[in-house]
Formats: sequence, C-alpha cells, structure tokens
Amino acid sequence: MGEKKYTEEHEWVQLSGEIATVGITNHAQESLGDIVFVDLPNIGKEVKAKEELCVIESVKAASDIYSPLDGEVTEINDNLSNDASIVNQDAENEGWIFKIKVSNPEQYNTLMSLDQYLKFLDK
Amino acid sequence: MTEEALKNIYLKDFHKKNDAKFIAFAGYDMPINYKQGIINEHLHVRNHTGVFDVSHMGQILIPFSEKNISALESYIPLNIKHIISNKCHYSFILNSNGGIVDDVMISKIKFDNREFVYIVYNSSRKKILNKIFNATISNFKIFEDRCLIAIQGPESFTSISSILNLPASMNFLNIQVLQYEDSDLFISRSGYTGEDGFEISILNNKAEKLISDIINNNNAILCGLGCRDSLRLEAGLSLYGNEINENINPVQAGLSWALDKNRLQDNNLNGSKILSQALSSIPSLKKIGLSPINKIMLRNKMTIHNNNKEEIGFITSGCYSPILKKSIGIGYINKITNISEKNYVNVRDKYEEIKLEKIPFVKKKYKKGDKYG
Repeated sequence: MGEKKYTEEHEWVQLSGEIATVGITNHAQESLGDIVFVDLPNIGKEVKAKEELCVIESVKAASDIYSPLDGEVTEINDNLSNDASIVNQDAENEGWIFKIKVSNPEQYNTLMSLDQYLKFLDK
Repeated sequence: MTEEALKNIYLKDFHKKNDAKFIAFAGYDMPINYKQGIINEHLHVRNHTGVFDVSHMGQILIPFSEKNISALESYIPLNIKHIISNKCHYSFILNSNGGIVDDVMISKIKFDNREFVYIVYNSSRKKILNKIFNATISNFKIFEDRCLIAIQGPESFTSISSILNLPASMNFLNIQVLQYEDSDLFISRSGYTGEDGFEISILNNKAEKLISDIINNNNAILCGLGCRDSLRLEAGLSLYGNEINENINPVQAGLSWALDKNRLQDNNLNGSKILSQALSSIPSLKKIGLSPINKIMLRNKMTIHNNNKEEIGFITSGCYSPILKKSIGIGYINKITNISEKNYVNVRDKYEEIKLEKIPFVKKKYKKGDKYG
C-alpha cells in the first residue's frame, strides 16, 4: 500500500497496485456533520480526474464527490447504503467510498501529501 | 453576504464556549449545532428538552393605542382591538395583494402597568418590517436588549418549573410576564418544533444565567438551528422564504385557519378582497408533504413531476427526518389536476418516485388543558 494522498476537494486516496481506494477526509466529515445517504457510483463507470462521481448527503447539504484520478470504478462500499454514518465514524478507513482502477498512475504523484494537506487546511 | 456583514447575537461567546458550530443565517452568525450533532439534538428535543437561542428573531413592543391598533389592523388579519390578553396568535403581515410579508406571533400583554402589543417576527424580514413599523405606528420599542430563548420538548415544563414560578395550568399559546432575577421576562407556551415548550424573552444580561440554570439542572441540552429546521419540518410548520413569501397568500399556503374571517370583510385590511375570493374559489396551489421511495434526500427547489415527466410542482423544504429515518419534504403542486398515481422528483436529472404524505409528519404535542395534541 502506498502513502495516503489528499485532494483539495478533501478526499483521501490510497494506491495499491493499480487500484486506488477513495474516501473523504476526517476534516470533510466533520464539517459536513451527520451524513445520512451516500449516492454511490456505478461499477464500471469510467471517470476523469476532478469529474463528479457521486454525492454525499448530510443533514445540512448535498456535496459532490470527485474522482481524484482517471480510471474506472471497480468496487463500491455497499455498507454505506445501509449505514452512511460509517463515514462519520471512520472516514479514512471503514468509510471508504469507491475503488478505481487507475489509467494514469503518474497523476497520483501530483496529489498532496498529509503534510501538504494539513498546511492546505490551515490556509 | 460577506462574513464582515454578519451580526452577532448577544450570547455568541457563550455558544462558542459550548462548542457551537456557526452558520450565516438571515444576516446573523448563528449556532447550527453543538458537539452532539443535528440528529442527536433533534432526538433529544423529541424525547427530553432542548434549549435554543433564537435571539436573531425580531421583537417589538407597541403601546396599545387606538392609532397603533388601527394601523396594525390595516396589514394584520386579526381583530387586534378585541384580542384577549395573555394569548398568542399566529398571524401575518400582509401586502396589498394579500401576500405574506412575514408570519408573526402576536399577543397583548400588560407590562409596567400598561398594555402593549408584543410581536415576534423573522430576522430575515427585520429590514422591511422595521420600515413598515416606522411608517405606521408610534412610541414602539424594538428590543435590542433582549434575548429570545426557546425551551422545547416533552420535559420542558419540568426543566423550567424549578427555575420559574410557572402555573401548571398554562396552556399552549398562553403568554405571561414573570419575574426572574429582578427583571421582567415574557414567557409563552409556544415554539417551532411541534413539541410542548416555551419561548422566553429575557434581558440580555440575564439570559446566560437562565440558560445555564436550565441545562445544568436538567436533562436539557443546547440545540442549534440545524435541528430546529428538521423539527419544524417534521411538524409541518412553514418557514419564511421557503413555504411562504410575498408572492404567496395565506390561503394558497394552506394557512387560512390563521385568518380572522370577519376581518376579510374589512376594506382597510391589505388584500382582504383577494383573500376572501381565494377562500371561496378552487385553490390554485396545494401544499403537500412528500417522501421518497428510495434513499435520496429531498431538497428545496427540486421540481415535482407526474407520470409523463410533466412538471406539476416544486419542493420548498426538504430534510432528513431523524424520527422517520428517511427524507421528508414540503412542496406545492401548481397543476393539481395533472397529479398522476405515481409522481416523481427530479434529483440531479434522475426521476425518483415520491409518496404524497399528510402534514404534519410527526404528531404535534402542544399542551391543551389535560391533553397534549
């Protein structure tokens, strides 16, 4: 497993081989508040980096989740269909949202490291 | 609106100390929720007691003079001259078309041995209402030195009866002037959650002690505007700017019960002709409750469609209901005859089936004599 990387849209990405696991950061779940539904993407959907892929509904608002990388959706976290609050409880592990088979692995290196993300949050 | 322009409520620092998260609402920096989060706060109000600081609301005290009453009666559809003392009424400020400039709570109270009309109005309407008041009535006082604190939930009477000398006989929509810490407070048995509860108008410098007394000695917690919205939506209560606005009249909004029908014969009342006509004609708008079949959220401004995908209405409020554990919404059908057996909302260009539901979604529990309902 590679080092976790972060996006300006407050997602985390972890690359294992050519499969990237994606979720929202702990900071993101905190500011969204109680999450009630996750509108998961379809398996097999092809996406480009920064394209809207699915939607998280908190009691406050709907938030788009973007794909951090080019690729194809290979897996979704079905547990979230029954209990979206898993994202609140454990955003950066059990609360992962989807996995994609990446088509441009070099994009991964352009994402932020944890240090860079924390500095980004401080801005 | 820019952050600099936001106004602060008097107890903002107190809420900060209590871990409130803030949002901009109607020009004010307001607590949206505290540590427990919106859903837990919501459930706490339904099961125990929640304490809300709603000091952003407008409060005005108007001397009960003939001149003032006749001015108020020109835009409020209520017989103010013969209003019973110590009783609150839900009513409206109307424009010349009968449209709702604001919805208000209005009552007659005795204070300092004089009679006054006391009105609580929406913060988002302060500018326009203060302008109307300035132009039409005199010697009034807009309270900047008072907080408005709401105590809501089935245990709210227990929560405050040890602090305030409150008669148990006080019913829903009664209002009284009581003493607390050598000052006058106005307390009404009312609220915006569908639960039994109270709203207290209290001097700014006494408010923190009152709130602390309530939350320290009882199973009561601070609650923010987040759950206030989901609570009022479950109770089917209208929110200004969502269900009601200047282009909609009380009859269209399904609120004709709040109109004094005799006043609609009075040509001096704004929009009286339009309103009495609306009462006797086939409605052009129908307010409905709705919920989705699938796990999606209903939100303000989504459109409602029939079987042929024809647009027949729109949603004005949507939220997640912590009691029903699904999304609920309120909206209007403007093509009533075109409703089909199955109807849909447009959620990000997908048509999701909805069920039409009765409003309120959750039974009201106001105290009426020995009964709650």
